Amino acid sequence: MAGQNQRLNVVPTVTMLGVMKARLVGATRGHALLKKKSDALTVQFRAILKKIVAAKESMGETMRASSFSLAEAKYVAGDGVRHVVLQSVRAASVRVRSHQENVAGVKLPKFTHFVDPAAASGGPSNASPSLTGLARGGQQVAACRAAHVKAIEVLVELASLQTSFLTLDEAIKTTNRRVNALENVVKPRIENTISYIKGELDELEREDFFRLKKIQGYKKREIERQRANAKLFAEEQLAEDLALKRGISVGAAANLLVAGGEKDDDIIF
Amino acid sequence: MYGWEMLSFNIHDGFLEAIVRGNRSGLLTAADYNNLCQCETLDDIKMHLTATEYGPYLQNEPSPLHTTTIVEKCTLKLVDEYKHMLCQATEPLSTFLQYITYGHMIDNVVLIVTGTLHERDVNELLEKCHPLGMFDSIASLAVAQNMRELYRLVLVDTPLAPYFSECITSEDLDDMNIEIMRNTLYKAYLEDFYKFCQKLGGATAEIMCDILSFEADRRAVNITINSIGTELTRDDRRKLYSNFGLLYPYGHEELAVCEDVDQVRGAMEKYPPYQSIFSRISYGESQMLDKAFYEEEVRRLCLSFEQQFHYGVFFAYIRLREQEIRNLMWISECVAQNQKARVHDSVVFIF
Repeated sequence: MAGQNQRLNVVPTVTMLGVMKARLVGATRGHALLKKKSDALTVQFRAILKKIVAAKESMGETMRASSFSLAEAKYVAGDGVRHVVLQSVRAASVRVRSHQENVAGVKLPKFTHFVDPAAASGGPSNASPSLTGLARGGQQVAACRAAHVKAIEVLVELASLQTSFLTLDEAIKTTNRRVNALENVVKPRIENTISYIKGELDELEREDFFRLKKIQGYKKREIERQRANAKLFAEEQLAEDLALKRGISVGAAANLLVAGGEKDDDIIF
Repeated sequence: MYGWEMLSFNIHDGFLEAIVRGNRSGLLTAADYNNLCQCETLDDIKMHLTATEYGPYLQNEPSPLHTTTIVEKCTLKLVDEYKHMLCQATEPLSTFLQYITYGHMIDNVVLIVTGTLHERDVNELLEKCHPLGMFDSIASLAVAQNMRELYRLVLVDTPLAPYFSECITSEDLDDMNIEIMRNTLYKAYLEDFYKFCQKLGGATAEIMCDILSFEADRRAVNITINSIGTELTRDDRRKLYSNFGLLYPYGHEELAVCEDVDQVRGAMEKYPPYQSIFSRISYGESQMLDKAFYEEEVRRLCLSFEQQFHYGVFFAYIRLREQEIRNLMWISECVAQNQKARVHDSVVFIF
């Protein structure tokens, strides 16, 4: 992995180790949370996908039915009926309203259609039972209108689903990227740093230990030496005593050595 | 009675009757329709149509065809034939031929007025008008703001002027009024046409009155069915029925109070010609009712070709062509929309 050999540029101290450990805990918790979010989004995504498939199928059916009902209306009411209907429309009666829905922190745009009452009363083709094609084909025109309104409903629903689909797709990709980044980059890096700090600290400890050992050895050797010296001295003393007894004066040198030896006992090194 | 017509009919109208009977043989037959119903694409339809009289009108169309193009070109052929006949006609046949187009004229006037009310461009509207219903001053319809102006400025010069006497009372041109205006005009037109045909007398009167009566009755039934559940009151509905026909006057009284389709059916079952139509359709199928009416109309129109020396054939020919165009439109729509199972639902075979 890319982050395997990387580590943060930190001073290997115990404090830093604590900080790093805290960061690792944070990263782990964040990873778990994001993973959960990604799962939730995926569930939603699948549901929307299922709905889109259903809506698309029904759209094919509805669109076909509506365009065929237009053909029926044209057959009965004559080709000119479309102009009559077209000319008598002032404003669209079916409007689309958009609002946002919150799914696991992702804002999904939703579209709903509604009939504008102001526009609906504007023309005969908008008012529910119209007089268009009174003499021939009025029913077909009404049926055609109903079929097309249904088609618009399906279209609006599909548009809403498609937009949510795209938004969710984007959100899922971002979340997954974050999850992966946490899992594969941030966490290994922190772990590496922690192990690095731990290694450094261990090293320091070992060095200390070694030094202590070394000093202990030195001390031991020194004590040995002193003991040996003391022994020598004792022997010399003994020899001097013997010599004194024999009347040979080597006392001055011997006294000096004893006095120095007694005084400097503490400052061996 | 017929003898007198035979003596003088051919002096003025023999040539045109020959032409119209010749044209009649150009109508698509059942075999043609069967071939057309087998088509897989609109290009196939075009190919089949090039073998018929529509050939010259369709052959230069570029390949991505649309249903509207086919309908447009076929209508063009009808208009050409009509104009040809109108040029050759002498009185009173020329008046008779002009009467045939008044229906389209009413539609065009209504379309322009509606468009103007909603502030559409007049030139754009003119393109959408039916070519048979054009008249010279149609573009100036756009200036009218209310009925009175509309009448005074424009329509007084058109043949539609007398028909406006009934609806001149309503002042504002709103959407509801326009649809009622259209039907009032059409009612007046049918009555006038009826009177004109009676004035012509002879076989023309006999045949045309039968066809027009049927037309009036069909209108009455359709208006009744289509106005169920709308704001149209019974009295208003009653006023839109033409004052002749088999249903006049008692059938109209019954139709005026009908509240649903079954009541209409009940009212119509007292009239043998319509009883057979209604008995053929099951309950709640209005599409089938329209087809049944079309079939009955085609049957009556075809019968008019059985007699000679009358003007009914001209009317019948124009109507049959229109039905044929409707058929073609239906077939093309079905083929274009991949709904071949329903092709036979609405095609009315003419011969």
